[in-house]
Amino acid sequence: MFASFRLSMAWLHTWFGLVLGYVLMACFFFGALSVFDREIDRWALPETRFAPQPMPSFDAVLAPAFARLEADPAEYAANISAMHDAAKGPQTPRLELPADEYWAYTTHRDPVLAIGAGFRVPLPKDEEDHNHIHGNATIDPRTGDFVRSDQLRIGSQWFYPMHYSLNWNWKNLGIFTVGLAALVMLAALVTGVIMHRKFFREFFTFRPDRHSQRSLLDLHNLSGVVALPFHFFFAFTGLLIFAGTYYFPVSQFQLKPLHDRHEVIEARETGLPHERAGIPATLASVDAMMAEARRRWAARDMAGEVGFLQLHHFGDANGYVSIYRAGSDRVALVGEGMHFKASTGELLHEDPPRTAVAETNEFLTGLHLQHFEHWLLRWLYVLGGLLGCVCIATGFLFFVGKRKQQHARAGDPGSRWVDALAVTAVTGMVIAAVGMLVANRLLPADLAGKGDWEKLAFWGLWVLALLHALVRSAPVAQARINPAWREQCWMLASLAVAAVMLNAITTGDHLIKTVFTDPYWPVAGVDLILLATAAVAVWAARKLARRERIGVTMKSPQPAAEVAHV
Amino acid sequence: MSPARTPCVALRSLAAIIGGWAFSWGFVACGTAALAGLGVEFHDAEISLLMLGLLVFLGVFLWSFAARSVSRVFAVLVGGALFFNGAAVLLQRAILS
Repeated sequence: MFASFRLSMAWLHTWFGLVLGYVLMACFFFGALSVFDREIDRWALPETRFAPQPMPSFDAVLAPAFARLEADPAEYAANISAMHDAAKGPQTPRLELPADEYWAYTTHRDPVLAIGAGFRVPLPKDEEDHNHIHGNATIDPRTGDFVRSDQLRIGSQWFYPMHYSLNWNWKNLGIFTVGLAALVMLAALVTGVIMHRKFFREFFTFRPDRHSQRSLLDLHNLSGVVALPFHFFFAFTGLLIFAGTYYFPVSQFQLKPLHDRHEVIEARETGLPHERAGIPATLASVDAMMAEARRRWAARDMAGEVGFLQLHHFGDANGYVSIYRAGSDRVALVGEGMHFKASTGELLHEDPPRTAVAETNEFLTGLHLQHFEHWLLRWLYVLGGLLGCVCIATGFLFFVGKRKQQHARAGDPGSRWVDALAVTAVTGMVIAAVGMLVANRLLPADLAGKGDWEKLAFWGLWVLALLHALVRSAPVAQARINPAWREQCWMLASLAVAAVMLNAITTGDHLIKTVFTDPYWPVAGVDLILLATAAVAVWAARKLARRERIGVTMKSPQPAAEVAHV
Repeated sequence: MSPARTPCVALRSLAAIIGGWAFSWGFVACGTAALAGLGVEFHDAEISLLMLGLLVFLGVFLWSFAARSVSRVFAVLVGGALFFNGAAVLLQRAILS
């Protein structure tokens, strides 16, 4: 089929890279934003703009907050009849469900605290099953008051899941699409290296003033090669994080018997009760358990704060409390869990030292999930993610640039479509993200279903960007530049400036305040990045305008013939 | 892309994605069961094989396009998937019995 090995690899690089490249743009861009998801949350939810808090006192703050949690009405309505056995007795009303487990989770960047409960369904059909109906909330850890939980946390609940699931949850198709895209990213990196023989020269080659097609290819190679370990690592660890659950769930499929046997052995070794005893018991001081956990971590020479707290079999003699360390001071996501008997506070089990394999896995996934407190490294992640976007976007442009002359002569609409989709995936995507922030500031805070309106603004703007790119794409058929690139750059610049101004007007947190008089870097950072985005967009728009004028008077240069792209 | 005939390319893509997935899935299952049988802790065995399995997937994905014959690609991937997945089940039965 292919004349040579190199040509087969070039075909794979070009066509899989093109098709899945649109998905990869979203993964890299929203992945880069996810590094600062909590900061974007603060920008979008002004009432949560205060300093990050450590895990609060259980006895004073968490216990009363847990007591106020209710089972989620929608989850109750959806699941109660499937879990409850009507033959054994009447169904328990939602507000009377007994709590079985409680948890609280925080990171070094969270002012507010996420808490939740799992409520037990009495008289279940299957006693062995995990018959839980959940109820979650967000609290202000300084007071224990509930923070409104109906608002969308745009950073951590929209941009962050966007980068691994495209927010397409039906049958987890988003996660599988992103998985395929990640595999193609790995394949594109390998085939890219195979295609380009002069690998090391590409580290240092960028010829901005030659033919635009040549400099595009230089930039594509440079951004791919310079950050090659970064791109490979993130695509690989991204796959690894989900592999056991979605891509290769062998332990939930044909190896389930082996896995289940291991669970039983493990449970016996830890000595932590798997079931409730059915005997009521009181709860000893969890604050004392947290203090003991901190003391033991310090004794292991890894002093730290509590990041995750979980109460199992609440109110039962078999109840126990698991306390995990916040992973803000090292790469590997290590919990160093300590498990205490709930009724007495005695230590039941300490997580043993990890094996070499588990340590490798925790290091790899920890390096992807970046829970650590190292701001320089976090910024390098953003840079790496944006370099990935540059690499993919220049790939699109090179594809179009190489073909548009030929397509123009043949009347083939191919490059016109690819170019319009590239506009949508580059400027359209950023417009959708920034436009969502503008919508967040324009819509009233107490609007019912505000989050849904924000999502609608996001998708709506993205679809409009696609339509605009298609409508304006006629010049591509004559081998010229689509004016939509320039127009969307202006649109993006206006939206970004509008977001910063709207933030200042609606919250009073303008840049003079957040940088100088009363520094609050999460909001100042988002504002400054928005302004930088606007500046880059204006620069690009002006440059594009010049190119468009030259393009009309001059014949475009012939594409570079250095590399055999098919 | 003139030398690449469309049906042939579609077959190779199908082999690379679906065949490669089934092959790597079998590899992960079989390897996990084998390591567990050798006394490696189950989750250690699983995680090691997940890492290897992703690299195997990448390898067979690329090979599906590089190989001379499409039928050989299908034979190796489908045959390998059947062999590995079958072996995983048999190994597990031997361990648990």
